[in-house]
Amino acid sequence: MKIIVPIKQILDPSGVTVRRDKERIFINKEAYILEAGSKAAIEAALQVRDVDGGEHEIVAVSLGEPRADDALREALAMGCDEAYLLTDEAFQDADISVTTAVLAAAIEKLGGADLVIAGQASADTGSGQVGARLAEALGYACVTAVYELAQEAGGLQATRRWGTGYARVQVSLPAVVTVAPEAFPPRYAHGARIMDAYRKWEVTIWDASDLELGTGALQPLLSFRRESFPAPLEVGEKFQGDPAEVARDVVTALRIQNLIA
Amino acid sequence: MDFRLSEDQLMFKKMFADFCTKEIRPRGEHIDQAEEPPVELLQKAVDQGFWAALVPEELEGCGLDTYTYMLMLEELGRADLSTALILSVHNSLVVKPLLEHGTEEQREKYLEALAFGEMLGAFALTEAGAGSDAAALSMEAQRNGEGYVLNGTKIWVTNGAQAGLILVFARAPEGITAFLVEAETPGLTVGYREKTLGLRGAACNTLYFEQVAVPVGNRLGEEGQGLKIALQALDLSRLGMAALALGAAERSLEEAVKFSMEHIQFSVPIAQKQIIQNYIADAKAQIEALRCLVTHTAWLADTGQEFSQEASITKLFGARAATQVADRMLQVHGGYGYMKEYAIERYYRDCRALEIAEGTNQIQQFLIAKDIYQAEGLDIRP
Amino acid sequence: MDFSFPKEYQLFRRMVREFVENEVKPLAMVIDREHRVPHETIKKAAALGLMGVPFPAKYGGMGGGEMGYCILMEELGKVDSSTGTVIGAHIGIGAMAIYLDGTEEQKQKFLVPLAQGTAIAAFGLTEAQAGSDAAAIKTTAVRDGDDFVLNGAKVFITNGDIADIITVMAVTDPALGAYGGITAFIVETDSPGFSIGSLENKMGIRGSSTAECVFQDVRVPKENVLGQFGAGFLTFMKTLDIGRASLGAATLGGAEAAMEASIQWARAREQFGVPIATKQSVHFMIADMAVEIEALRSLIYRTAWLIDTGQPHILEASACKLFGSEVAHRCIDRAMQIHGALGYSRDHFIELGWRDQRISEIYEGTNEIQRIVIAANLFRPYGLRIPT
Repeated sequence: MKIIVPIKQILDPSGVTVRRDKERIFINKEAYILEAGSKAAIEAALQVRDVDGGEHEIVAVSLGEPRADDALREALAMGCDEAYLLTDEAFQDADISVTTAVLAAAIEKLGGADLVIAGQASADTGSGQVGARLAEALGYACVTAVYELAQEAGGLQATRRWGTGYARVQVSLPAVVTVAPEAFPPRYAHGARIMDAYRKWEVTIWDASDLELGTGALQPLLSFRRESFPAPLEVGEKFQGDPAEVARDVVTALRIQNLIA
Repeated sequence: MDFRLSEDQLMFKKMFADFCTKEIRPRGEHIDQAEEPPVELLQKAVDQGFWAALVPEELEGCGLDTYTYMLMLEELGRADLSTALILSVHNSLVVKPLLEHGTEEQREKYLEALAFGEMLGAFALTEAGAGSDAAALSMEAQRNGEGYVLNGTKIWVTNGAQAGLILVFARAPEGITAFLVEAETPGLTVGYREKTLGLRGAACNTLYFEQVAVPVGNRLGEEGQGLKIALQALDLSRLGMAALALGAAERSLEEAVKFSMEHIQFSVPIAQKQIIQNYIADAKAQIEALRCLVTHTAWLADTGQEFSQEASITKLFGARAATQVADRMLQVHGGYGYMKEYAIERYYRDCRALEIAEGTNQIQQFLIAKDIYQAEGLDIRP
Repeated sequence: MDFSFPKEYQLFRRMVREFVENEVKPLAMVIDREHRVPHETIKKAAALGLMGVPFPAKYGGMGGGEMGYCILMEELGKVDSSTGTVIGAHIGIGAMAIYLDGTEEQKQKFLVPLAQGTAIAAFGLTEAQAGSDAAAIKTTAVRDGDDFVLNGAKVFITNGDIADIITVMAVTDPALGAYGGITAFIVETDSPGFSIGSLENKMGIRGSSTAECVFQDVRVPKENVLGQFGAGFLTFMKTLDIGRASLGAATLGGAEAAMEASIQWARAREQFGVPIATKQSVHFMIADMAVEIEALRSLIYRTAWLIDTGQPHILEASACKLFGSEVAHRCIDRAMQIHGALGYSRDHFIELGWRDQRISEIYEGTNEIQRIVIAANLFRPYGLRIPT
């Protein structure tokens, strides 16, 4: 089986401080990381291979700046077999429709996939649309917010979040699956693979012409105007008074919230 | 200027040294490992006058002057710092304020019990939000008929769980006020026992005060005078900490000298190595400088002069000297210094508390600078 | 001059940091209390190649060189010195001796499992009367047929009781002294006659065992002679020389953690109505930490570069250990002062760090010995051999 994992590199949120009072975002440390949802997607793909030990080919692709090379090498270090960086000045203002077009073109150029696994929504822009739109563009089946994934005859069995519970669905291949990040905590890359990822292995770079994308497909439909800051939420509830009463009130409040029996 | 000890002082010093060497020193390692106050040992110390050091002779105490009291603390510091701290708190921070500020009735009621081993004293000032900044304490003392009701929490109370009598500082209508609170008073409960790096034999506990009724007769001094009483007691206690530091540094040196004569490397005792000789000499220089500071400050106290700034200076210098000496003396021991079977390992951990307890080095620095600028007419803030 | 870390090392550091934050840091207090690093933790580290970071892939290692190894030790130093000591003694001296002077067969037989972490190594040098004066050892090895028979006792051996393989220095010809009369051996701890005496009760790094190793007629095949016969002292000194750089890296981590904790606590703790982060006494303590840490970091990674590029490094490695341990001492001590009584409490990791740190000024050659090593290196070009 050929599994393609679209991944994304983002600004490390731990280096960012949001100051609501100043209506500004402060970047105290500019560092770029492989986004957590993408890591979960890679993990899900690696688990498919771990389960049957079969000859599955796992390919990571990323649309981004040249620096996304690092994210792809991390994907290789985690266990992916090949990595493709889709980068071009023409991709710079990519919105979701352009992103989808570029990724779809790359997947077509790779000869299509049996399974595409992506994160459910990225930690930065987080539209949560790419997986579904990719499925549409490629004509694949699509399941979102998947918690469990298993191969079975004729396709996949996936468990997805459904309201406050879960639903188990059967999917035919080829398919696009987006995974819930908490369900696939990523493995640590082996140190030797980290060394190899930079010293031995290559990341293939494709630009717009490699993907045969004309200007029409690269015309964004959305553009960014400005960020704004919501009013801070009033978090928590303060209990005051006699200690015995306070204790009782806290217990009652926790019961109401269904947090204790 | 005569630096010689009087006959009385010599006698006391010898008496204290005998007990410390024979009874306390051999138990140091056990006290540290057991992490419990040495109750029996402390009771034994009663007969030697350790609990009644400052109690006047007419009340059958030792009636020690400040300097002789410092000799006692030095000997204790040399034998075991946990035991030394327990007795220092008892004498400097409870017995002494009671003697200075107590009414006739209060002395009548508590002094004997404190002097003869029935009641150990504890001093409850620090709170979670009021450590270095003692004036920020928030414990309440509300007037209630013929007395007060105390509510609040004190932390890091040395002897808190063992004490019979606790000197507590709380905010009364007229300001911070001192109270003598008996341990058995309803509403007073002993909480968390701190687990500490060193001084493990001296227990520090949290004390909870919930509607603790204290009769007006147990108020020490006037309402609003509490901070003054606390600071005055701390002056003596800080000087005492320096005496403990002196004893501790002497012990560290003693251990290292002994070890360096026994331990052979490169075919000679390491005492033959110049660097070891330098460490030993530097330690001795620090010790003697500290001894002069302690002696001088005690002389100020004994001659009725102001010694607050000198107490801070002595404590700052002493705490640093003790930790530095312990550190170098541990280094003389090499790998053995890191092992619990050698006393230096314990002294190194114990001494570190001296730079924090009863006013961190930074607070002492502030107090000293404050005094200096005050004399020039400038008020400085920490 | 390019001072940036190569990208593979940046990613490696991130992986190690995540690993130690998740798998080691939460256990630090328990490790101290229970006096052991969980076997599971070591197994997890081994699964990521961390038990063989500096060694080449052909010997089962990760291929990270000294730089990778220093990164590992720095990150471990930030979270738990006990775990750092267990792994450090395993890689940095135990396995390192075999890597430096082992034959190809010895490397395949012993280094591969060590680098893969399926076996644990220890380094058997120190004896009761031979600490700083390593040449004064008394353990003997006497030839008997195809074997050597070892007798004696080693003390303060890190990992002694958990090791599968110990590299041991023994006297093979008392007449020849340190140069010529001492030989290094690879000893498997399941050999008959090998036993563990007492375990030390230490101030810190309590999760790392410090054992007495007793050799009573332990037979070691002659194939297990490590390096040239009679040149054991050189093998061990060479190993210790390299080991000191990574010890410095561990102290760098400890110092950084102390500074970070101080910054966060100073922001949070209020006295006199303001955070103590507004106080100049605190500024100066933290500024001094930052300066010393920057200087130390440069020293450590420059030395790692010297080692990885095969340049002379004895003085620099010794400086890493000496300067690092003293910087870490000052940093953790200042951090305790900033934390006040809280830092003195055993509920706080500053207290643990303070106890753990102190050994770095003592082990693998006290700082006094480091100064002697450095001075000897400075005088030697003038033909002056300084007495110890």
